[in-house]
Amino acid sequence: MKKNYIVSVVLLTMLTVLVLAGCGANNAGNDKTNASSPSPEASPATTEAAGGSNDTSKNNNKEQVVNVFTARHYDVDSQLFDAFTKETGIKVNEIKGTAEELVERLKREGESSEADLFITVDGGVLNYAKQNEVLQPIQSTTVDSNVPAELRDNENNWVGIATRARVIVYAKDRVKPEQLSTYEDLANAAWKGKVLARSSASLYNQSLLASFIELNGEQKAEEWAKGIVANFARDPEGGDRDQAKAVVAGLGDVAIMNTYYVGQMLNSKDTEEVKVAEKIGVFFPNQETTGTHLNISGVGLTKHAKNKDNAVKLIEFMTGKDGQTLLTQGSFEFPVNAAAEKPELLKGWGDFKTQKLDFSKLGDHNKKAVELLAKAGWK
Amino acid sequence: MSVIGAIMALIPSLYIFFGLFDKPNENWQQIKEYMLFESVVQSLYLVVGTVFFSVIIGVSLAWLVAAYDFPMRKFFHFAFLLPLAIPPYIAAYTYGSMLSYTGSVQVFMRNTLGVTPNQAYFDILSMKGAIFIFSMFLFPYIYLMTKTFMEKQSAAFIENARLLGKGQLHIFFRIVLPLSQAAIIGGASLVAFEVLNDFGVTKHFGIASFTATIFKTWFGMYDVDSALRLSALLMSAIIGLFIMERLLRRRRRYHSATSKLNPLKRRKLSYLGTAAAIFVSTVIFALSFAIPVVQLLVWAKWTYQDVLNSKFAQLVSNTLLVSIVAITVLMLLAVIVANVSRSLNRSLLSLAATKLILMGYSIPGAVLSIGVLALFISLDHQLSGVYSWLGFGSSKLVLSMSLVMLIFAYVIRFLGVGFNAVEAGFDKIGNRYSEASRTLGIGMTATFFKVDLPLIKGSILAGFLLTFMEIMKELPLTLLLRPFNFETLATKAYQYASDEQIHQASVPSLFIITVGTATVFVYHWLGEKKSR
Repeated sequence: MKKNYIVSVVLLTMLTVLVLAGCGANNAGNDKTNASSPSPEASPATTEAAGGSNDTSKNNNKEQVVNVFTARHYDVDSQLFDAFTKETGIKVNEIKGTAEELVERLKREGESSEADLFITVDGGVLNYAKQNEVLQPIQSTTVDSNVPAELRDNENNWVGIATRARVIVYAKDRVKPEQLSTYEDLANAAWKGKVLARSSASLYNQSLLASFIELNGEQKAEEWAKGIVANFARDPEGGDRDQAKAVVAGLGDVAIMNTYYVGQMLNSKDTEEVKVAEKIGVFFPNQETTGTHLNISGVGLTKHAKNKDNAVKLIEFMTGKDGQTLLTQGSFEFPVNAAAEKPELLKGWGDFKTQKLDFSKLGDHNKKAVELLAKAGWK
Repeated sequence: MSVIGAIMALIPSLYIFFGLFDKPNENWQQIKEYMLFESVVQSLYLVVGTVFFSVIIGVSLAWLVAAYDFPMRKFFHFAFLLPLAIPPYIAAYTYGSMLSYTGSVQVFMRNTLGVTPNQAYFDILSMKGAIFIFSMFLFPYIYLMTKTFMEKQSAAFIENARLLGKGQLHIFFRIVLPLSQAAIIGGASLVAFEVLNDFGVTKHFGIASFTATIFKTWFGMYDVDSALRLSALLMSAIIGLFIMERLLRRRRRYHSATSKLNPLKRRKLSYLGTAAAIFVSTVIFALSFAIPVVQLLVWAKWTYQDVLNSKFAQLVSNTLLVSIVAITVLMLLAVIVANVSRSLNRSLLSLAATKLILMGYSIPGAVLSIGVLALFISLDHQLSGVYSWLGFGSSKLVLSMSLVMLIFAYVIRFLGVGFNAVEAGFDKIGNRYSEASRTLGIGMTATFFKVDLPLIKGSILAGFLLTFMEIMKELPLTLLLRPFNFETLATKAYQYASDEQIHQASVPSLFIITVGTATVFVYHWLGEKKSR
């Protein structure tokens, strides 16, 4: 009897929750829609008048927003958005996800999309978004002066907001920086059993190889991948931090990794991670030749942005001096705006020569790069 | 109504499935040549290895707890369910960090013992490591299904064998195993699907599994079509397995001959046996729950100040809200489908229909999300006239910008889990009672409420709790299909972890684990109440 009672209560609760939640879900839908229509009373008239045309005047009497699809999900990005809201009163709404998924979503949503901005890591993906025609040119002289031309799309479909250098790190006790020179050199037999890198599923490795395809040709790029695979100290595994740890643990002598992880490790709450970061040296390769490879984080204005003015304001803020300082202090990425205040660590590394290539080419070659990595047996 | 629900649930799956009949593009040749074979091999390793170990662990623990009495037995029964509360990707990141060069184990050896151990012993980021993680955190599915079955269903057979003087090993291998086959296979197939769908663990460990290849095709080669095609292949393979399993199970149905089921009487273990039982149980409990949780607690102590802010409470309530709504809808559907399919006398048609609905579980979440997205956007476009008539303004995306889309996706993704639980309940009671009721002239619906529902209440509740755990941990669907500014504990934890900020990820992870533990506790408590 008692047991029956308990089960009945639970079942009843389930049912109640269903009903309540049904209303809840509807409300969520209504909130969203109410936010995008001026006011309940005015809506029928507006709907008739609007008839598809998107005049900005009707946006005046509602909450100012900008809707962002972002594949970057660092806490510092949210801080940046909060700072923007504080300064302008414009609310930033986010949907986060993987870049490729978000592009697919933009594509499928088409004209009706609510997204205004698309933010992601990696130039290849930005270009992928451009090719899929989900972006439009950003017209702002402020942005143009904030971001140097080489860190912008040639038609301003996207602009860079931060860069990361993909460098060689080495065990300070076993390797002298003089022994290091280029990425290409790591494929030489001298480094057999000493090289560490993460798997080919990593976009960073795909972009690195894509840059070699552009600079050295497909043949050379493939040879390089094969050479690195032959020199691996172990099968690729883990993330970039794991490569640094493996260097210090003595599994290998050199690793390919991004600089900003070194910054984060040096500032880690885990003292052991700090120790690791202190035992590795950062080497910017290819200084005499083609320059160090950069990953770029960037922002694009979506083709059907409904809050275009606000969106452009946010891009201006993100690339402006204060926005850039905030961003790079939090993430240890390199700012795109020279006026930004760099973290001490980055200043300590000094200036270095970067790869001069059109970031859009990385996107063009990414597919080939994945193929070559698979062919070379890079796990 | 249920037919409409079923058809809706089918569309995204079929959308992906029909990709198989499109003409392959120029990438396909490359994918076939360099990736396909390797990824099939890697996935087979992973699935076979995981199923092997989790069956061994799950079934032996189930037998231990069901058939023997030893100190702390009740605690361990509860403890063996707890790994369900820990998402495998969190476990993977936790173990990976813990055993790394800067992890607590090696640091202790270096700084306290003064030993620098060989790194090779700590190489968990490998195929072996992945099998370890999956086995440790997925075995409870097998444990749970098998134990329930052993206690209730096979008791009479076991008691008879004992009366006939058969030895323990004989009873286990000749009676318990064959009898529990259906339950074991049911649990094992859940484990296999979880492994095949995983992306978090395999990506971190650098394993080129089939799912990893699907993502590489999509995210690396920007080739959604080929990714859908690969998913369709995976889906076909899984449906094949489903049907095979069903055909194998078909001839082996063991309903108890009497309606009165006497629970299995537990035997006392010898002193040596007791010691061994406690030792093994403690080791499993430590590896699959205690150790990772303690480690996460230490990390949480380092980072909670950065992570626990005003937005955090929102995360918790978001997670609970979507989970509970989705599960309620899902369980209703599961009960309806299971009831209809069983009264269709297991014809080939009903078999095919139910299997198709369960396809959701076999498609990698991220790919399924594309199917769902496609469905909802086209639905929104169809309904745009209705929206403006309802006064929604010029907004064209209403459903796909709301939680409805995410909840719908959860429902089709996890319908299989709920359905399996309900079906197991129906299997246990057989058709006798409802047939008797129908013979007495009571309609199908009335029979369902008066006869079947009271009998399968427990199974429904079990399904509810199991799916709750699943949805709370779910990632790929939540990542893509959520509305603006909607974060859950899982998405937050994953974002930290995938950005290599495992210390920050510990706080949301611990919340998931706490809610999961509470769920397990309720589940356990209800079970205990019932058996009293």
